[in-house]
Amino acid sequence: MVLQVKGLCKSFNGKEVLQNVSFSLKTGEILAIIGRSGSGKTTILRCINNLVRCDRGTIIVDGMVLCKEDEQDGKVVYAKSAEMLQIRKKLGMVFQSFNLFPHMSVLENIIEAPINVFGVSRQEAIELAEKLLEMLDLQDKVSAYPFELSGGQKQRVAIARACALNPLIMCLDEPTSALDPELREGIALTIEKLAAKGMGVLLITHDMVFAKRVAQRVIFMENGQIMAQGSKEEFFNQITNERIKKFMAE
Amino acid sequence: MKKGLRSSIVLALILMLALFSLGGCGNSDVAGENNNENEVAEQTSDAYDQIVERGYIIMGLDDTFAPMGFRDEKNEIVGFDVDLAKEVFARLDLEVKFQPIDWTMKETELNSGNIDLIWNGYTITEERKQKVSFTKPYLKNRQIVITMADSDINTKADLAGKIVAIQNQSSAIDAVNTEPELVASFKGGEPVLFDTNNECFMDLEAGRSDAVVADEVLARYYIKLRGPENYKVLDEDFGEEDYGIGVRKTDVKLLEAVNNTLDEMREDGKYQEIYDKWFAE
Amino acid sequence: MIDYIWGLLQIDYIWGLLPALFSGLVGTLKIFFITLLLSLPLGILVAAGRVSKIKPLVSVLHLYIWIMRGTPLLLQIVFIFFGLPHVGITIERFLAILIAFVLNYAAYFAEIFRGGIESIDQGQYDAAKVLGFNSVQTFMRIILPQVVKIVFPSVANEIITLVKDTALVYIVGYGELLRAGRIATNRDASLVPLVVVAVFYLAITWILTKIFERIEKKFAYYQ
Repeated sequence: MVLQVKGLCKSFNGKEVLQNVSFSLKTGEILAIIGRSGSGKTTILRCINNLVRCDRGTIIVDGMVLCKEDEQDGKVVYAKSAEMLQIRKKLGMVFQSFNLFPHMSVLENIIEAPINVFGVSRQEAIELAEKLLEMLDLQDKVSAYPFELSGGQKQRVAIARACALNPLIMCLDEPTSALDPELREGIALTIEKLAAKGMGVLLITHDMVFAKRVAQRVIFMENGQIMAQGSKEEFFNQITNERIKKFMAE
Repeated sequence: MKKGLRSSIVLALILMLALFSLGGCGNSDVAGENNNENEVAEQTSDAYDQIVERGYIIMGLDDTFAPMGFRDEKNEIVGFDVDLAKEVFARLDLEVKFQPIDWTMKETELNSGNIDLIWNGYTITEERKQKVSFTKPYLKNRQIVITMADSDINTKADLAGKIVAIQNQSSAIDAVNTEPELVASFKGGEPVLFDTNNECFMDLEAGRSDAVVADEVLARYYIKLRGPENYKVLDEDFGEEDYGIGVRKTDVKLLEAVNNTLDEMREDGKYQEIYDKWFAE
Repeated sequence: MIDYIWGLLQIDYIWGLLPALFSGLVGTLKIFFITLLLSLPLGILVAAGRVSKIKPLVSVLHLYIWIMRGTPLLLQIVFIFFGLPHVGITIERFLAILIAFVLNYAAYFAEIFRGGIESIDQGQYDAAKVLGFNSVQTFMRIILPQVVKIVFPSVANEIITLVKDTALVYIVGYGELLRAGRIATNRDASLVPLVVVAVFYLAITWILTKIFERIEKKFAYYQ
């Protein structure tokens, strides 16, 4: 298991956004978390990437403890900053709106963190970045700026940036939301490519068709709870839950 | 909201207190009030020995203020007062450093010790005597009324209903204020104040002001430069005055030294020599 | 009026004025450059402190900005030079000017930069965080470069204002361009020196405007 989440709880202003969420992700697996907006699925990604601190629960990334509950007082203890940096290296994150750095070229966006945070040599970082851009069919955009790119191109740059540290887990928040429908197949292929390279892919989506196309396993969330989960076949062929049916019908 | 408002009010009060405790004295100085108790805070003792020890004295002057002390084309500070001061302190074996100041801040500069003397066509008035010690008068002066040559103003009484321009913070204001009914009859009930005499004259020329009241010494300088035929000086004036040199009230020794040296210079003819250089026709 | 126009043609007279005006110009430029050099970085620091999560720091900076923007710069110069000696702090003339100007302009720059910082999308911070940047790296590498582009027009405007605000130091008798002009104007009873002074100011702001245009072009590489 490259990622284990156990008993994750989080509330904002008294509203419980995550209630006792537990799941795990295997190397090379593509897991889709589906649900309506507001069902808490994005908060899971934000907790895993330590953009939000959880109230309770344990998150283990490739054997390293990101956070866990203290055995005595039950408070959540987070990894120290040096360890946290190692954990970050194992995690890649592609935001819904990509959040590229607008003042940096495509190449700079990708090599900035490896060079300045992780001390990779500039030459090495550039070589890796060029390889990634080639894989993502962006080799002619090396020195372009984000504002010059289409939505799909921006997304692939964001993926390249997230891949630049060879993460074990790739998180994607609503990867189809900012794309034209005809680009869905492209991103599905990219995600499969990442999984084929041995990454565990965790994607958040409200797009059932896309989830069905790309995921190997599916988790359905509602009101901060996991309502159902299973392999794609199990999940889509034996839908018994009324709410899932309702969601599917929408 | 309420809490924010309350803390803002408290903050504002604290700030105001701080500002008053900091600058209160300086403020009333500018307003020309008498508050000697506060001002002697910095200079409680005679500074003359210190001045002698360091070998130089700092004379404050508004270097925009021709002809008493100003800058010539070479940017050198010159003038009647400047020549006089150089001679006085040469005799006292002191170097003079000229510190340009803003005229409205002159007493503040003096009492906070930035300068040791105000010597710049500084008219002796009762109000100023509250703030500084004056030497014996070293030059006579009149407060005269100047109009354009074609003006129908011929007496002070004709100033009723007219716009009268005066330099701000100058003794000319004190002089006209000795005749409050006349001032009240000016258009607007008070004179129009400008930063410099030059601005007063420009306003007069522009036709906005009808008359200027100014020190004769200064006014004659401008009239000479701008063409005497353009102006008229009324026979009546706002009284005679004296120029003196202002020192801190505590600096008794300095006052005495300057007074004695000026007397000496009058006796040996040096004073007349400098006077002739600047004011002889 | 004819006199003034004729005055404009008095080449010899104007030539004679130049040395004094240039020495005034030096005074103006000294205040201008030193203030700019110190107040810009200080303003950025204050802005960073203003958006930080350290509450006491935020309140102190809030108070500081309020005082600096809420009172005239002239008054601040007077307080620092004439007021502080009353509480036992005596500061040399030029230094007092610089302190007043740097503190005042840093406050204005801080507010401009704060607006710029707050206009940056939260997503930029998130992206920087997941890539492992610490808060200083995030500010220096990700946020500040974008803020600089956003706030540049406002900063440029403030810098032009600074050129003209230098004239306020007349209150402590410091020699600068406008004072040099007023000295000559009063001495010669002529407006010509002030016309020359205006030309000097226009020349400075023209040069600055050209520099700003170039910088803005440089920033135009992204949108």
